[in-house]
Amino acid sequence: MNTQEYISSGIVESYVLGLTSDEERREFEQICAQYPEVLAARTAFELSLEKQAMENAIAPPSATRSNILDLISNSDKIIPLQQAPVKKINWFKYAAAACLLLLAGSIYWNLTLSNKNKELQGNYDNTVAELSELKKEAQVLQQNPNVKMAAMSGQEASPKSFATVYWDTTSQDVYLLVNNLPKPASDKQYQLWAFLDGQPIDMGLIEITEKPLQLYRLKKAQAAQAFAITLEKKGRPDVSKPEGTLYVMGKL
Amino acid sequence: MKPKTTYSEQELVYLLQQRNEKAFAYLYDNYSGALYGIVNAIVTDKEVANDVLQNVFVNIWRKIESYDATKGRLFTWMLNIARNASIDEVRSKGYKDSQKNQPIADSGEIPGAVTGPVIDDVGLKKVLTKLKGELRVLVDMSYFQGFTHEEISQALNIPLGTVKTRIRSALTQLRTMIQ
Repeated sequence: MNTQEYISSGIVESYVLGLTSDEERREFEQICAQYPEVLAARTAFELSLEKQAMENAIAPPSATRSNILDLISNSDKIIPLQQAPVKKINWFKYAAAACLLLLAGSIYWNLTLSNKNKELQGNYDNTVAELSELKKEAQVLQQNPNVKMAAMSGQEASPKSFATVYWDTTSQDVYLLVNNLPKPASDKQYQLWAFLDGQPIDMGLIEITEKPLQLYRLKKAQAAQAFAITLEKKGRPDVSKPEGTLYVMGKL
Repeated sequence: MKPKTTYSEQELVYLLQQRNEKAFAYLYDNYSGALYGIVNAIVTDKEVANDVLQNVFVNIWRKIESYDATKGRLFTWMLNIARNASIDEVRSKGYKDSQKNQPIADSGEIPGAVTGPVIDDVGLKKVLTKLKGELRVLVDMSYFQGFTHEEISQALNIPLGTVKTRIRSALTQLRTMIQ
């Protein structure tokens, strides 16, 4: 095996950052055990990642420390049961009490698990349905090679927001993928804008749904250099000019 | 007896597995800031980020038995716990609901001229901004937003194999940046 090639393939970083599939992970662990130079590369990346994280540490609120120490200290009290001085005479009593406790715990556990299972199944079904819907919509884009993309990053009002515009330059259709936008208050809604020579052009209002990734088809754009999303008041008489807060923006 | 002030990683893991609370306090004092940094890169809401950090440390305490040193350093293990807990939180319904009623600053206006996106992130996210546009999006979606390669391939209309190679190439670039 050419270990240098393997090391420089990006597998080391993927593994350490938790981005590998289960299969890749197992393979990498085997190779690490076999080739010291791969292991050395892993450790080196881990150390520089650790150093990077340490240099960019953010101090948590001071009360958090005692909260956490209390939490683990309390959870610990349950563990050393067998260390408590239990006298022989009481053995049966304690055992019976423990059995009862275990029984009650087990019934409760089973009920919780069964509910949890139902809930998970429901979530899973919804996700599968959403994904297949998204797949269908994405196919529209896949069939056309003339699709341009603008990744819109979060601006001051919401730095973690993120959305992507796909603009089909032949049909001029505009698609919006909302990766992450906070749910707006009930009297507000998002609006997409195209920019041509610095001038905003209304691309349509966006109805945010609960779905994590949602593709919208909006107005056609004849030309654009950039796209942006603002949060606007609902029911404005004139929607041709942006008035609200800028959320995300990105160039084509 | 004078309390010990530094531990080697091996000692620390051993003591934590023995449920030593002093070792846990040491762990908190040394690593909470770094882990809080990664939580904050994923969870926007400060209050929620604080709750996530608490869960992360409780999980570290509970799961320390399952930590396997042959698979990576202690910090790597904790970093992954922190990342996973943060992504789970952001994807939970409760978090989405809590973001609904946030007051919105009315300061941002559409500027006349279009400039590049404004990024004021710190830490790894700041390193990320040095990546070329598309590679940045890929790393952001996979590492910070937790989308699978398949989901990214679907959403961005890029073949799965390409998503994987580009993420790998972006990550090797990231490595040289943080070295």
